Amino acid sequence: MRLRGRGGIALGVGIAVMAVLPLVVKNAFAVDICIRILLFAFIGTAWNLLGGYAKQLSLGHAAFFGLGAYTSTLLQIDFGISPWIGMAAGGVVGMLASLPIGWLCFRLRGPYFAIATIATAQVLMLIFLKFRDFAWGAEGTTIPNLGNAPLMMQFDGKAPYYYIVLCLLALALAITAWVERSRIGYYLVAIGEDEDAAEAIGIDVPRVKRNIYMISSFLTALAGTFYTQYIYFIDPQTAFNFSVSIEAALVSIVGGIGTLWGPLIGTILLETTSALLQSWLGNSIGGVQLTVYSLILMAVILWKPTGIMGYVSELTRRRRGKAAGS
Amino acid sequence: MAQAVVNGLLIGGVYALVSIGVTLIFGVVKIVNFAQGEFVMIGMYISFFLFTQFGMDPVVSLLVSMPVLFVIGVLVQHFLIRRVLGLNDLPQIFLTFALSLLILNLALMLFTANYRTVHTSYSDEVLHLGGLIVPVAKLIAFVVAMLLSGGLWVFLHTTDLGKAMRAASQNRDVAQLMGINPNRVFAVALGIALALAGAAGSLLMPFYPAYPLVGQVFVLMAFVAVVLGTLGNVIGALIASLLMGIAESLGIQFIGADSGLIVVFLLLLTTLAVRPSGLAGGRRR
Repeated sequence: MRLRGRGGIALGVGIAVMAVLPLVVKNAFAVDICIRILLFAFIGTAWNLLGGYAKQLSLGHAAFFGLGAYTSTLLQIDFGISPWIGMAAGGVVGMLASLPIGWLCFRLRGPYFAIATIATAQVLMLIFLKFRDFAWGAEGTTIPNLGNAPLMMQFDGKAPYYYIVLCLLALALAITAWVERSRIGYYLVAIGEDEDAAEAIGIDVPRVKRNIYMISSFLTALAGTFYTQYIYFIDPQTAFNFSVSIEAALVSIVGGIGTLWGPLIGTILLETTSALLQSWLGNSIGGVQLTVYSLILMAVILWKPTGIMGYVSELTRRRRGKAAGS
Repeated sequence: MAQAVVNGLLIGGVYALVSIGVTLIFGVVKIVNFAQGEFVMIGMYISFFLFTQFGMDPVVSLLVSMPVLFVIGVLVQHFLIRRVLGLNDLPQIFLTFALSLLILNLALMLFTANYRTVHTSYSDEVLHLGGLIVPVAKLIAFVVAMLLSGGLWVFLHTTDLGKAMRAASQNRDVAQLMGINPNRVFAVALGIALALAGAAGSLLMPFYPAYPLVGQVFVLMAFVAVVLGTLGNVIGALIASLLMGIAESLGIQFIGADSGLIVVFLLLLTTLAVRPSGLAGGRRR
């Protein structure tokens, strides 16, 4: 009970710090890093619902990121519809797209599921590259800059973007917390442990997987819209970038797969490392960031497959065990 | 049309070397090697540097790239893969995935993203066979690839070690009971698979540019071929690779230069949709 109280206080302090951060930190580079952290923590949390709890290791979440980005941008440029509405529409498009993609990919397990999801994201990218009359082809397009237009999701400073993505992350965390406590959460963990056994005890495995995939894709698509609005540019290479799929999985695994806070912790570690490397080495050498990421990923897999959160809970358990023993 | 089929068939021979490696590792060690394409890339860079530094012909440099990659394969098995055997999907998938990312980005740091090409005396030469144009470099690559595949088949079916590998791929526990040392067999499987990838890289060099991301194309091709053929089956992977090469080439011919990969991916996704039962290896592990 005392521990729970302490956890509550930590959570309150965390939220307060997050809320006032842009008021204190004025450095644009630092705020940009914070936005990146929140964005990828958001995508990672969305990935974690499917990949972490149900252990369906998708490497194709860029598909939904890209669909969300293109939906809102097409609506905005062709019909003048606000990205706020476009974001919701993009979420729905992503969610609907997860139905056929899931229908295809859930036939496969383990590494084959991962490969099939890579293929779907790549096909979408190639389609958007190929058909230029439909969505600007390979050149992409810039989002018309309207100055400070909050109704069109455009702002002068970086702080409003920070709060938008903070709200998105809070939404994803709230959904995850709800899933963890609900029946579907237990179903997901059972599926993640052993799909056949879950089926045998009467869980409607295809339905549960489909539902969680829909939620996960919906959230990922929202991130796509946000990112496009934030950088004022879209093309197939950025929208369906494989590194989005990679980073979604990576932050969850490093932080602690199948835990509420894992993706956020993982993103803070990875993005901070990457930012430090960038300020130390500059942007001149390509590949440094992912080299470091892959080394961290390898280290986590070989020594602590449960990630940072797994390590922390192990420590707490050990300490508690000691306290009980003495 | 016939020309496109010939082009596809020739490049399909090189795809086959990559696919056979993937299927061999999967069959024996039960791990999907996401990094296989990066070993093709290493093979290409070995041949590139041997050519530019010592003027060694890329096809001859096979004699260097294959042993080097064999050793790398044994090391990868010993230091990395051995440690995740018997664990669940997550470490097994993401270990080789991380390895792929690592090699790729190290190459990006060391060699930059520039395209490197090698121009040999036969790079531009073609044979005219009954109205068909056959590029000599691709023909050499195809023939050597087929010889290597055939050599592997003979090795797997006639030597004790080859038979031990096939036994281990059929039933690891029983094989172990029969006195087969799994670690040794796994190391050889990794070594051979990577040597084949290295050979593919060397054979590609006279007509294909080397760059850090080059492996991704080949590994995706290999995955499709391996899924289309039965998993763990060398002949299946070979035939599927040749078909993939032809499909890609026809896609380029009829839809456009950048459409080869779309055809390949669509092929994979249709197979999944229409014939999931054909993917027995993908469903049960």
